[in-house]
Amino acid sequence: MAKEYPWRMPVAWWTRNRHYFLYIVREFTAAPLALWLLWLLYDISQKSLVHPRAFAIFSVVCLPFALYHSYTFLSLAGSIIHFKVFDRPVSARLIVASQFAAWIGASLVIGFFLTWLK
Amino acid sequence: MPDKTITIRAARFDPEHDKEPRLQSYEVPFYDESMVVLDALNHIKSHIDGSLSYRWSCRMGICGSCGMTVNGTPKLTCNAFLRDYWPRPIVVQPLNNFPVIRDLVIDMDDFMHKLKSIKPWIIRRQEMPLGAGEHRQTNEQIDDFRQFSECINCMLCYAACPVYGLNNEFLGPAATALARRYNLDSRDQGLKERLPVIADPEGIWECSFVGECSVVCPKGVDPAKAIQQTKLDTTMRFVLPYGNRD
Repeated sequence: MAKEYPWRMPVAWWTRNRHYFLYIVREFTAAPLALWLLWLLYDISQKSLVHPRAFAIFSVVCLPFALYHSYTFLSLAGSIIHFKVFDRPVSARLIVASQFAAWIGASLVIGFFLTWLK
Repeated sequence: MPDKTITIRAARFDPEHDKEPRLQSYEVPFYDESMVVLDALNHIKSHIDGSLSYRWSCRMGICGSCGMTVNGTPKLTCNAFLRDYWPRPIVVQPLNNFPVIRDLVIDMDDFMHKLKSIKPWIIRRQEMPLGAGEHRQTNEQIDDFRQFSECINCMLCYAACPVYGLNNEFLGPAATALARRYNLDSRDQGLKERLPVIADPEGIWECSFVGECSVVCPKGVDPAKAIQQTKLDTTMRFVLPYGNRD
């Protein structure tokens, strides 16, 4: 059999296409969130905020990453979750809308409690 | 020759002489707005350079043979209209993520093995005798899997999948969609035979939901959806107490 030319994935494959780029951005947003969580866990283990001002600034930096990650995750829910009501499949759009509604609802409840406990 | 022409830059690779693929330019007459890239390749083959190699068959988006990379995007060349590119040149290359045999022809053996591995046929624990009649289905039961049965095995989804490009052990989009097509079929009882392949770490769990497979699919199969839904179903089978029931 004649030799074939093997496939070699280019190092910059994720720059070839807008979707690839957004996918890498989506995956990357998990990194700052993981760092934020590790920092929070460390502070909890110390039973106090060790560097309160720095943690506040880092939290603000991480917020857009968290929002983008949540947005992309919830937007994909319509492709993942599938169930029927009265033998009819629930539309993907309704599932996504319900996810965003639950997200906003949970944020409001947590925000209320944080404000109220303060 | 008509005044209007278009430049086709086709990838050439002769395994006997070339170290790597190169691009060769051809001027092709563009005399009809309904012309597609496959027509241009056929013109080259018939009138300019008979040595150009590529696969094609039906010319109507059914057989899935003529998938190639057109200006960087995996497409059926019978469904890529020259009018959408003219007057810019069109670069035609073999599908990404596969070894190249010659020119625009890729080695599809890996895909064929993956397709076979998910047992894409109706599996019955015990087949009913013919006299017992047909396996009847309602329209709703057909609707459960119809979308995933539209696949024409064109491999555009594999060419668009960077996960497969980085790790060709990955089962991949079309094979998973086809597995789901049979798993959702009310006549089929083969889920447990397919699970070891689809629930393998190189199966559905290798997918990180890039989603490009569904973008390039010419038949609207949405393999990304098939993979994510299979992930959810597989997890529910594991988590829920009744999950492992047939």
